[in-house]
This record gives sequence, C-alpha cells and structure tokens, in this order.
Amino acid sequence: MDYAAYEPGATAVTSALAIKILIAGGFGVGKTTMVGTISEIRPLHTEELLSERGVGVDDVSGVESKNTTTVALDFGRITIREGLWLYLFGTPGQDRFWFMWDELALGALGAVVLADTRRLQDSFPAVDYFEQRGIPFVVGVNCFDGARRHDPTKVRRALGLTAHVPIVLCDVRDRTSVRDVLTTLVTYAVEGA
Amino acid sequence: MTGQDPGPLIRLYGLTGGRARPQGETFDLVAIVTTVGGPHTLADLIPEYRAVLSVCRRPTPVADVAAHLRLPLNVTRVILGDLRREGFVTIERPRPVAQTIDEHIYREVLDGLRSL
Repeated sequence: MDYAAYEPGATAVTSALAIKILIAGGFGVGKTTMVGTISEIRPLHTEELLSERGVGVDDVSGVESKNTTTVALDFGRITIREGLWLYLFGTPGQDRFWFMWDELALGALGAVVLADTRRLQDSFPAVDYFEQRGIPFVVGVNCFDGARRHDPTKVRRALGLTAHVPIVLCDVRDRTSVRDVLTTLVTYAVEGA
Repeated sequence: MTGQDPGPLIRLYGLTGGRARPQGETFDLVAIVTTVGGPHTLADLIPEYRAVLSVCRRPTPVADVAAHLRLPLNVTRVILGDLRREGFVTIERPRPVAQTIDEHIYREVLDGLRSL
C-alpha cells in the first residue's frame, strides 16, 4: 500500500471527493433504517456534544442541572471508488436541532425526505427547510408492512409539492428500493427539473 | 450496539481538554483530510493523534476518520483542528457541490449506485 503524501515531491493536492446526502423526515419514519440498508458500513452513531450557549434557542426547561446536550447523528457510507464516496446523514429528528441541519445541509448534493402517509404532517418541516434553501430533494414514501399503497398524486397535494419534485414509493428495508430512491435523487439534483 | 462503554469517551473528552469545538477555520463533516507532515515528530503524539495521521495518509473525509477511529465526530474534529494547526494535516475547504460534481463524476456515481 503506497501513500502519496509520503512520496518525495508529492503534493497534497487531493482529487478525493465525498458527497453528502441527507436523509430527513419525522421521528421514527425510518431514516436510520434507510441508512443502514444501503450503507457498506454499519451506520455510525455519534453524538455532538453541545454547550447550552451553543444551543441558543434550545428549551432546556426541566433539565436545569444539565449544562450540555447531545445530538445523535447517524451516518453511512457508499464507496463508489477509491477517492469517491457518498455519505448519508440521517438528520436529527427533533425540531430543536434545526441549527444542526444547517451544517449538514451545507454543500449537500440533496436530500431524501422520508414520509409516512399516516403522519404526513411530520414531513412538513423538512420539506419547508429544503424548499426555502433551494436544496434539491425527493420524497420517499415509506411503505410499511400492511400500509396501503399510496397515490403519489395525493401525497404531492398533501405536502404541497411542486410538480417537478420526484415522489418515490419505497421500502427503507429493501436495498434495491433504497438504491432507486438515491439514483432518483442524484439524477434530479444534477439534471434538475 | 457498540460504543456503549462510556470509559473511552470520558477519557477522550479529557484528551481534548474538554473542548467541543476545533481550533481555526471550521470544516465540513465530509471535508477531505490529508496527512502532509513527515513521520519524524510523531513519537511525541498520543496514540489517537497518530492514528488519525495514519488513516489520513490516504485522503479521507472527516466522518470517515471518526468511523475508522470509533471516535465521536466532535472529538475527531478537535483532534483534526490540532493536527492542522501543527501542520500535520491539510483539511479541504468546502466547495459548492455544483463545482465538484461534473458530468464524469455524476456518471460514476450513478453507475456505482446501480451496481449495488
């Protein structure tokens, strides 16, 4: 195994590229499952430790004794080739961690907003967030066991989506299904509406 | 689940002096880190720092450094900030995605996904 950085005369110029994709949606909609289904590594669960001051608008009532809070973050990876990776980040589900979304979203290729048709309203904040910032997103309607197949037209209307935003019915436990959601997103993000 | 043992975590926050934020310019979760310093002064570094330098001899995203070392992201970032300040690593500045994904990379990504 050779290491370019140690070769005499080698420069530190990198052609390596990591592409960020966000997996958003309401609490319990299947974000972590989706990441786990497609990731080549077991999804990493890490935590960002934040001081209260850094949290700013965080409501810490009831936890006065706590002067730090943690944000759980799950991420997975797909290696396209050496030096080219897709990183999937599950966004924190709680509204109070919006500030964390800004960092996650910065420079992201795009996002998948997972929706559960039984709780479509849980997807509104994510849809609003990406719309307002002009970040390309697709909506993945997670079809749970026993859930009725849903009409994408109705989902589009309920979420107030413009006609060009792709809606994909998916099963976040199924690798092929998740792959199709991601290819839809990548195509949409790069080629546009 | 792994990583339930709080012992190493507490030790690592001690290791970073309780700092939760890296020094210097901020860098992205997927910024590419590359080891640039020679190995001559590595003997002075504690194991976690040396491990980062070993991993990043191949250009590696920040998130992956954390994954390799099984360290929390923010601890990893503090370590990376220190190593950058000392000139051991470079950390790529964020680039707008529109500048990084050209037609060729786009095709590579799509082909890669489809072959999964």
